[in-house]
Amino acid sequence: MLLITGGAFQGKKDYALQLTGLAPEDVCDGLDCEYETVFHAAIIDNFHLLIRRMLLEEKDMDSFIRRLVGENPEAVVIVNELGCGVIPTDPFDRKYRETCGRTSCRLAKSAVSVHRVVCGIGMVIKRD
Amino acid sequence: MITVVYGGSGSGKSEFAENMAVRNACGPFYYIATMYPYDRESFAKIDRHREMRSGKNFETIEAFTDISAVEIEKGSSVLLECVSNLVANEMFLDCGAKENCFQSVAGGIDHLAGQAGHLVIVTNNIFEDGTEYEDETGTYMKALADVNLYICGRADNVFEVVHGIVIPVRKAGGGL
Repeated sequence: MLLITGGAFQGKKDYALQLTGLAPEDVCDGLDCEYETVFHAAIIDNFHLLIRRMLLEEKDMDSFIRRLVGENPEAVVIVNELGCGVIPTDPFDRKYRETCGRTSCRLAKSAVSVHRVVCGIGMVIKRD
Repeated sequence: MITVVYGGSGSGKSEFAENMAVRNACGPFYYIATMYPYDRESFAKIDRHREMRSGKNFETIEAFTDISAVEIEKGSSVLLECVSNLVANEMFLDCGAKENCFQSVAGGIDHLAGQAGHLVIVTNNIFEDGTEYEDETGTYMKALADVNLYICGRADNVFEVVHGIVIPVRKAGGGL
């Protein structure tokens, strides 16, 4: 697994495409993709939005992540790094932020490498 | 030696800080817990941290404000968690230092650093959500940022934690 993280609108998807040589058709979007797509897509974009949907629908995150790591170990996962702000006033937003952070830690642990993208420029912060 | 561990919410910074403090232990361990429990969520957070610390032999000292009054043994290992709560307590609790928040926190950290053999300080990055906050939130952010600048200015090591990955920002005195 390859994890690409960074702030919003930092060019993470373009960076991922360039890095992997994959095409936009290889990308599934966490915003609105079918959950099953995630288990075979080459690139999963907006993983934070997928987490958000799952929380809203009260899906089991733990087994989902385990299945993702098991069935799609070569996936490129793109996630927003979103814990670096003021604590949200809304309880759901707090839960979302916390879950995103913990889930990203878990994906980072499984990933062979983690890239952090700032202004379109990637920095490798983990390489096994 | 002072080590600062910096990161966003849910970044894994506490786990890293605790493990590092344990690995670099010298003398007794103190864990200075600054979170003021005011609702169910904060109790749950405190429980989670207690669970993480269990078996690591920390002596926990709760200090919500005025950490210059905390007494520790000379040459000990101290983990202060976390500065963002401490600054909030000094600003917003009735017993807090209010407008003297910065002096109180910075002075308290100086006091701990003067006693501890190794002081590990956990603090937060809350500065990157792009929202312009006014009133007390903006004032709080500025105060926390000032404290962060101060302690990182004094620190031997500064680490940023991203998704559990440790990025050395300054590394002078070992620590990892």
